[in-house]
Amino acid sequence: MSARKRTLLKVIILGDSGVGKTSLMNQYVNKKFTAQYKATIGADFLTKEVQVDDRLVTMQIWDTAGQERFQSLGVAFYRGADCCVLVYDVNVMRSFDNLENWREEFLIQASPHDPENFPFVVLGNKVDVDGGNSRVVSEKKAKAWCTAHGNIPYFETSAKEDYNVDAAFQCIAKNALKNETEEEIYLPDTIDVAQNRPTKSSACEC
Amino acid sequence: MGGGGGGGDNETYASMEEANAVDYSAPSRQQDSSYSVASTSAVQVEEELYKKERMTLLQENSVDSTRATDAQSSGVLDDYEVVYVKDNVSVHPTQNALGRISGRLRLIKQGPSLFMTWIPYSHGGLSRQGSNVVVKGGLRNRMGSRAAERDRNLYTIRAVSLSEMRSIRRHTPPFGWQYIIIVLTSGLAFPPLYFHNGGVKEFLATIRNHALLVRSAEDANVYLVNDIQDPLQRSLTSLELTEQPAQPASAPSQEAPWPVILKQEVPAAAENDVKREGSLKQDSRADSLRKRDHARDLSMNVLEKFSLVTKFARETTAQIFGESRMYLDGLDMDRGPAPRPPSDAEVLISGKEAQASFNKGEDSSSGLKSADEEVVDDNLSADDEGDDQAATNVGTFELVDGTQDDSPSLVWGRARPPPLGSEEWRSFLDSEGRVMDPKALRKRIFHGGIEPEVRHVVWKFLLGYFQFDSTYAEREYLIAKKKEEYEVLKAQWQTVSPEQAKRFAKYRERKHRVEKDVVRTDRTLPYYAGEGDDNANISVLRDILVTYSFYNFDLGYCQGMSDLLSPILYVVDNESEAFWCFAALMEHLAPNFHRDQNGMHSQLLALSKLVQLLDRPLHDYFKQVDCLNYFFCFRWILIQFKREFDYENVLKLWEVLWTNYLSEHFHLYMCVALLKRHRRRIMDEQMEFDTLLKFINELSGHINLESTLRDAEALCLHAGERGAGCIPPGTPPSIPDEEAGGWSD
Repeated sequence: MSARKRTLLKVIILGDSGVGKTSLMNQYVNKKFTAQYKATIGADFLTKEVQVDDRLVTMQIWDTAGQERFQSLGVAFYRGADCCVLVYDVNVMRSFDNLENWREEFLIQASPHDPENFPFVVLGNKVDVDGGNSRVVSEKKAKAWCTAHGNIPYFETSAKEDYNVDAAFQCIAKNALKNETEEEIYLPDTIDVAQNRPTKSSACEC
Repeated sequence: MGGGGGGGDNETYASMEEANAVDYSAPSRQQDSSYSVASTSAVQVEEELYKKERMTLLQENSVDSTRATDAQSSGVLDDYEVVYVKDNVSVHPTQNALGRISGRLRLIKQGPSLFMTWIPYSHGGLSRQGSNVVVKGGLRNRMGSRAAERDRNLYTIRAVSLSEMRSIRRHTPPFGWQYIIIVLTSGLAFPPLYFHNGGVKEFLATIRNHALLVRSAEDANVYLVNDIQDPLQRSLTSLELTEQPAQPASAPSQEAPWPVILKQEVPAAAENDVKREGSLKQDSRADSLRKRDHARDLSMNVLEKFSLVTKFARETTAQIFGESRMYLDGLDMDRGPAPRPPSDAEVLISGKEAQASFNKGEDSSSGLKSADEEVVDDNLSADDEGDDQAATNVGTFELVDGTQDDSPSLVWGRARPPPLGSEEWRSFLDSEGRVMDPKALRKRIFHGGIEPEVRHVVWKFLLGYFQFDSTYAEREYLIAKKKEEYEVLKAQWQTVSPEQAKRFAKYRERKHRVEKDVVRTDRTLPYYAGEGDDNANISVLRDILVTYSFYNFDLGYCQGMSDLLSPILYVVDNESEAFWCFAALMEHLAPNFHRDQNGMHSQLLALSKLVQLLDRPLHDYFKQVDCLNYFFCFRWILIQFKREFDYENVLKLWEVLWTNYLSEHFHLYMCVALLKRHRRRIMDEQMEFDTLLKFINELSGHINLESTLRDAEALCLHAGERGAGCIPPGTPPSIPDEEAGGWSD
């Protein structure tokens, strides 16, 4: 493939309020964590240069308000996304239950051309809390959900302890890039895309 | 999830309402005899339709409005013809489904004219829905239904002629119903009309069959209406439309430095205000429609050019506001003892000249000048470039050119007066504690703010918790009574037992949401400092917010509310009083948090119109980069700039906003002022949606409040009624009526 014009990968982080979306983004991009974040109002993003295989790409990571009441704004923010990161708090069942809603909402609002194969990544955050004793969503349960939704890659993270954050975003970048590549192949002609399809493993192969 | 969701679709009604509705559009056509005759007969048509329909409906007893009425109702009736009917077209003044006002939209053809009416269904229909309401958990008090009744009257659209319409904008949100916004030539806009049963396309198609409807070249969702019969005018109007694409934002004419400079002594004429009024009123003549449309567009350019005309604008606009008394405390230095302001008309160029220069592709015009051409000679000419100062009888002032200079604040060579102190505050009160002149007080605070030591008292007035005309004793009583009331509300959720909570998901969810947010609200401030909930004030924040979410169960808790409450609690420093102050503020701002984001959308739309009025090139730029949704200003508006300034400045800003002194929507002028200030960078760096959002977000903490307030004030004064016309009625923080003015019985 020849040189691409576009090396900007747009990634959207979604999930209930307070699950740690802003913290994850800040930990990944700025290597910082603070307990003093404010609830995100509207939306914001950070960018980071990432190397994926032999390519240097810019990842634009969008952080949005977590209250579903603001979702009608999504249509403006989700447009052109290359990957969607769904975050829940392993200590809050409801945030896990809502993953389904977030996923659907994203697909409706972003309306990617190939929703079946649009890359999602799921992060179970706050595994550090209380030494894991307050956890209510098991890894098994989360993985089962991911498998059932087209083998979505799954990571357990702690933005506070910087646990698994880099690995998760590396995978996110890779999937976003893959999506972008597929799009480019997809658009001009009818080369088969199907072969890329069902072989994603539940963890990222990076 | 998301969207408008639920309700509305299955609304039923029993009979049509008696025709006693407010004629919403009356002011825009008062001077035109031929129109008012036509309109009157259209009203008669409407009334006759009422009668016929009431008869039919009585016979049918109860009618399911979802049935197709179109075929049955349309048809020739005497000398008029209903060419379009749509049921379940509604106005959504509030978030909850109950507040929606459903009605019937019609297009009526009479002779060569087409009229639109929208009549809400009768009260009987709504009270029938009462059962729905209770199921949904809404408690509707009598006050509420009176308000609903008033709303229905307020929103009724009776026989507005198509000739009074300027444009129809169609909105197709990804969720919820399609809706249209109709803007009148007067600049007024009707609130969005939601088509619950579809039919927008038909509606437009019907209009197109009877009138000239042109899709805007600038925005495919905007249809410009014009049914002017005169072929010459028609062609001119079309010409104007087609000229738009040929003049992109980057066209030389737009980019050229504005050469308009005020230079000469402008004579002060006693009849200035008369002249102004004349020009405002008389241009509703059909004859001037075309001219006015030109003038309107051009006036936007002129406003841009003149960007700000200091005292000049202040003086003239002071007249618009009908303000005769000056605040002469020696602080207001701009104002001489005997101000004799020149009229707006004198600043602007005559219509004739405007036309000429328009044709040359230059930017100069008169917005309001159709009636007084005689001022031509006194006017500036587009050739007078070079100077940057102009003298008037009220002194010398600078003209700031919005294109060349991004700092309109330069025109305000004055500092804001010092804040209102306790001694001065006492001077506003009579012996029993009543505020003698609320307007003067609001004006004083608008210009100077409040000293921290009296803030906690004065805020209660500004927010509407205290009435201005209450006495010390009455307020004492109010405080005690409201405290009791608060305790009762608070007990409602505090007495929920763990067993009950297990079965009460809504309660758990709300409490959880609030708790998530209060622990991350202003923790850097000593008052709220600490980790987790180890600070008593954080617990108070939580209690107030959870109580509020029970007090206003339909609205619940929404992110952003903790930001709005935090400064109130900090200033008032009393749980019950902070609650009631917050509740009073939410009377104005609740629509910001409505599920369908209606309140936010209407403010963003109004902002877009204001920018169009006050900075046309910037508007054109935003259009070009597809940013007219103004989502990048979302945070500014949602929480009144709470995240953009340090705490002390947030307090200063809010008390200014809450005075509602120049405008209830002063925050929108703040937005315009900030965008204008950075317009050069925005355009030079060709910011697009994402970069623009980032840029705006990062302005946080770097905004000079004082100068922004001055800019906003200047813009607001300069925009005057035209600015107000950009903001549809009911746009938050306005409350449609006065019912929430205070809390005393």
